[in-house]
Amino acid sequence: MLKLNNVTAGYGSTTILHGISLEVNEGEIVTIVGGNGAGKSTTLRTISSLIKIADGSIEFEGEDITKIPAHKIVERGITMVPEARQLFPEMTVLENLQMGSFTKVARPHYKEKLDEVLTLFPRVAERLSQGAQSLSGGEQQMVAIARGMMACPRLMLFDEPSLGLAPIVVSQVFDVVKKIAASGTTVLIVEQNVFQTLQIADRGYVIENGEIGMSGPAQELMGNDHIRKAYLGI
Amino acid sequence: MSSNQTSPTAPAIFRFFGVDNSADKRGALYVFVLLAALLITPIIVGDDFVYHVFITICLFAGLSTAWNIVGGYAGQLSLGHAMYYGIGAYTGMILVNAGITPWIGMFVGAAVSAVAAALIAYPCFRLKGPFYALASIAFLEVFHVLAIEMKWLTGGATGKMVPLQIGWEWMIFTERLPSLVIAFGMLCFVLAVAQVIRHRRMGFYLIATRERESAAKAAGIPTIKVRIYAAALSGALVSMLGTFHAMYLTFIEPDSAFDLIFSIQIVLFALVGGIGTVFGPLLGAILLVPITEISRGLLGASALGLHGFVYGVILMLVVVFMPDGVVSLLPKRARKALDPEQFDDTSGQPIGDTDLGQQQLDPIQTKARPPLGDEVLKVDDLVKNFGGLKVTQHVNISLRQGEVLGIIGPNGAGKTTLFNMLSGFLEADSGSVVVMGPDGKPHTPKGVADFVSLGVGRTFQIVQPFAAMTVEENIMVGAFYHHPDVDSARRVAGEIATELGLGRFLHEEAKNLPIGGLKRLEVARVMAMRPRILLLDEVMAGINPSDLVEAIRLIKAIRDTGVTIIAIEHVMRAIMDLSDRVIVINSGAVIAEGDPESVVRDEAVIEAYLGKEAGNAEA
Amino acid sequence: MAGGSKPPPLNQRSNWHGVLLAMDLIFTNLVNGLMLGALYAIVSVGLTLVFGIIKVINFAHGEFLMVAMFLVFFATAYFGVHPYVTLVVVLPLIFGLGMLVQRVLIEPLQDSDEHIMIFATVGLSIAMINLMLMLFGPDIYSTPSSGLRTVVDMGPAMFLTGQLNILIAAIALVGGIHLFLTRTQLGRAIRATGQNRAAAQLMGINVSWVYMVTFGIGVSCVGLAAVLIAPLYPTSPEVGQYFVLLSFVVVVMGGLGSISGALLAAMIIGIVDAFAGFYLGANVKDLVVFGIFLLVLIFRPQGLFGGARNMSHVS
Repeated sequence: MLKLNNVTAGYGSTTILHGISLEVNEGEIVTIVGGNGAGKSTTLRTISSLIKIADGSIEFEGEDITKIPAHKIVERGITMVPEARQLFPEMTVLENLQMGSFTKVARPHYKEKLDEVLTLFPRVAERLSQGAQSLSGGEQQMVAIARGMMACPRLMLFDEPSLGLAPIVVSQVFDVVKKIAASGTTVLIVEQNVFQTLQIADRGYVIENGEIGMSGPAQELMGNDHIRKAYLGI
Repeated sequence: MSSNQTSPTAPAIFRFFGVDNSADKRGALYVFVLLAALLITPIIVGDDFVYHVFITICLFAGLSTAWNIVGGYAGQLSLGHAMYYGIGAYTGMILVNAGITPWIGMFVGAAVSAVAAALIAYPCFRLKGPFYALASIAFLEVFHVLAIEMKWLTGGATGKMVPLQIGWEWMIFTERLPSLVIAFGMLCFVLAVAQVIRHRRMGFYLIATRERESAAKAAGIPTIKVRIYAAALSGALVSMLGTFHAMYLTFIEPDSAFDLIFSIQIVLFALVGGIGTVFGPLLGAILLVPITEISRGLLGASALGLHGFVYGVILMLVVVFMPDGVVSLLPKRARKALDPEQFDDTSGQPIGDTDLGQQQLDPIQTKARPPLGDEVLKVDDLVKNFGGLKVTQHVNISLRQGEVLGIIGPNGAGKTTLFNMLSGFLEADSGSVVVMGPDGKPHTPKGVADFVSLGVGRTFQIVQPFAAMTVEENIMVGAFYHHPDVDSARRVAGEIATELGLGRFLHEEAKNLPIGGLKRLEVARVMAMRPRILLLDEVMAGINPSDLVEAIRLIKAIRDTGVTIIAIEHVMRAIMDLSDRVIVINSGAVIAEGDPESVVRDEAVIEAYLGKEAGNAEA
Repeated sequence: MAGGSKPPPLNQRSNWHGVLLAMDLIFTNLVNGLMLGALYAIVSVGLTLVFGIIKVINFAHGEFLMVAMFLVFFATAYFGVHPYVTLVVVLPLIFGLGMLVQRVLIEPLQDSDEHIMIFATVGLSIAMINLMLMLFGPDIYSTPSSGLRTVVDMGPAMFLTGQLNILIAAIALVGGIHLFLTRTQLGRAIRATGQNRAAAQLMGINVSWVYMVTFGIGVSCVGLAAVLIAPLYPTSPEVGQYFVLLSFVVVVMGGLGSISGALLAAMIIGIVDAFAGFYLGANVKDLVVFGIFLLVLIFRPQGLFGGARNMSHVS
């Protein structure tokens, strides 16, 4: 479904990704794990075209999307739930969700998507008219995910959804990701929380210093000595 | 590049001006040649117009360099600096009319300007960027109106002549050469002041304050004071040049003395040359003044608006294509020579976390842990509300020397607010924070500076590096607190960097460090202040699991030197491993307290924070 | 700004103020103040919109007004139509000019330091004023008043029909922009972009297009203002300088980015302006206005009305 071929990218003159290649197949949960600054978030940001790609190419559903601008990527069916929620703080929760289905593709499905999302997040339904800013961190994360779903994505990218959340909320977030995947949306997730991510993922890539160091089925990675030492601290 | 080993052989006078090593000496040579050319060229050519152009260059280079102390170093974009120029011009003129020589009037004007600048800077210190600019324009406008209204003093809107008394005493000459000598001398003086400031503690303080005000405060910098100091100094220097210029022009009027466009010109030269660099403004003036003066000379009044149009277009072109000024176009060696602090060239490759993880991580030799001492911090019934929101509810903490207290709790529970009150960034609504001073007596500090002076140091949850500074300079800002002298601050910074495993990145710009490195830099900057009580706000968040072990070891090593630590953390492993005691905060109130093992088994804590499964999974 | 030309007083108060009672005087000044306030409001709305969304203080805002007023003058002279009719020409031209400036000057600097952005628009301002000086000289150009200077006499309150139109237009503009921002998809996209640019991109919003449109709308507000003002005030290259400083006062006082705040602040400044001008004279009036401006900047940098919104400009 999604294919990165030798992608090189970075900010300004600093190159962060040095020839990343990876693949996500339809219906999978794929995770990218790695240390901070290794290039995990950069990979997602490059896919959603927030960062310009320096070299290499990205294919989505067989088409080349390397040079497509960010707002068009969303129309193609790739939505990213960004790191640290990034809600529109001075809009209500409902308005945030409306912005979620901004694209021409998503707009006709607004009603049904809204129903779907509100069933999945009853807490969000209770707070529709509240300002996004007034929600707690966990609630904001739920709204961010809900907002992402409003765009009718076929592939959802999650950038560190557990960052800065209390452990109890973290497991709720992972439950939601599992549910989204179960409903047929493909998921690519980037996480610090290696242990819990590998538990829900089908396959994983380990990224180190902007290069793919290792990849394989999640269970296998979890059993790998290097990973256990470096990322799980076992 | 290891410039921290300053050559002790450099003569004292060189070192006074921040010229320490061979690169600095080369820079000094460039500047000397440039300045010599400014003085000699018109003497050789001997033409009156050429004299005029070079006098104007010296004047604007001086004004712009003086502006740069506030606008560049301190980052406060004043568009009102013409007001100090005007004050200098008017004071000089008024005193000359009273029979007092401008050589005295110059200093009187400087004093008036310094006071005015300080009075303006004090209320405006909070304003940033465009708002400071707007306020400065408004002040300029106020002075403009005052100059028009106070006819008895200023001659009103029509302006006033300076009495034509020739001679050195009156700063008015029939020849051009003496004026050039004075302008040139003043320029050299202003440049020297700018250079000395930049390379002293004051320069570091100004730039640190510009980059991150709250981190600067936490590092013990009296941020308001340094800004007022810079404003007063800058205003005084501009004012002195204003007095000179009034004598040179022999006529002043409010519209030209308090002119916004004149203010903008001053800034323009600094921008074109390179804002914040010592010699950028000089370069800018040398490049631009001849163009405009010559076009004015050739086209005269026939081209109304032309030179303004050219300035406007140059401004736009420079910001779009050359925002760092001409200085940035010079070859690296020359740049470095001109301004070693600004252009450390060791930056380049991004630093991967593994680099940080594997290199020289052999910090402080682990000592045996000293026994806990007496109580050093007592928090009594602390309450804080934001509007109706109760963010801190009746919190009590007692802490003994050398103890490590962990604070956990869900996001938004009020942990960082509590830290802000424990470090003076916020004042509590009620309740007290008592810190045992080094003198063994209890104190109730108010405000950041008080807390810092009692040895309370803190890091920030969102790292606050001084991005434009190197790692060494970042740590030096903290070290200055006990070592006002640049050399010893540099030495201390080097030692601490090595201890914290940042040694290799000493000359790397802070912004190039990965997050783990930045967290460590935060700790290093605080450690350079030799805190007795250390507040760590999520220093473990976002660092590699593999680095976690090392980070924990580091904090234990700090603890073992007798420092008392309070740590806010989400990383349970670190909390469990480090803390002697843990308190759990939820909705602003302490819901549990005790040793780590018993706290994580507490029902209320599991309910509010850990969650049933997560507790097991992480532990 | 320094040396900026001051528009002449509109009403010949001096002929009749002596015979009126103090109450009437106050009422007269109040009405004058409201009229002035409407004028400041209509000039300021675009400035606050651009700041709220793009986070740029457009120091050249007044120069767009000036250019638009020249356009009104020439269009009126060339086509011989009523000044209001020139809106159909002025609006698209100014909108286009705004989009162009956003595209070539502001957008490339979007991520630079804020001082860079200040210099960019200050540079634009200086270039525009001096370009017009080169083209048309420092002279004053008077657009025909076309009956808009007719005095409406309502007892103690006297004003011009043109002024009344400005008041109506200012209120309509503020209401219209509010509806546009809250009720339309494009308006919501503009607000979203203003609140979180990266997230807006992830929603599929073409951010650079939204910025161009916003800047275009922002300067179109002064396009509209120019059409209304040109018949009443003389046009010169420096006319924008006078209005823009007052706009800054209004916009900061109203709370940066707040449209309704700007309207309210404009009314307050208008009334202060009228009273201070009447009782204290023109120069001292400026002192009062700038004094208020400085007090607001220093003590209420978030504006008089809002809470702690848009506090990005103070630490």
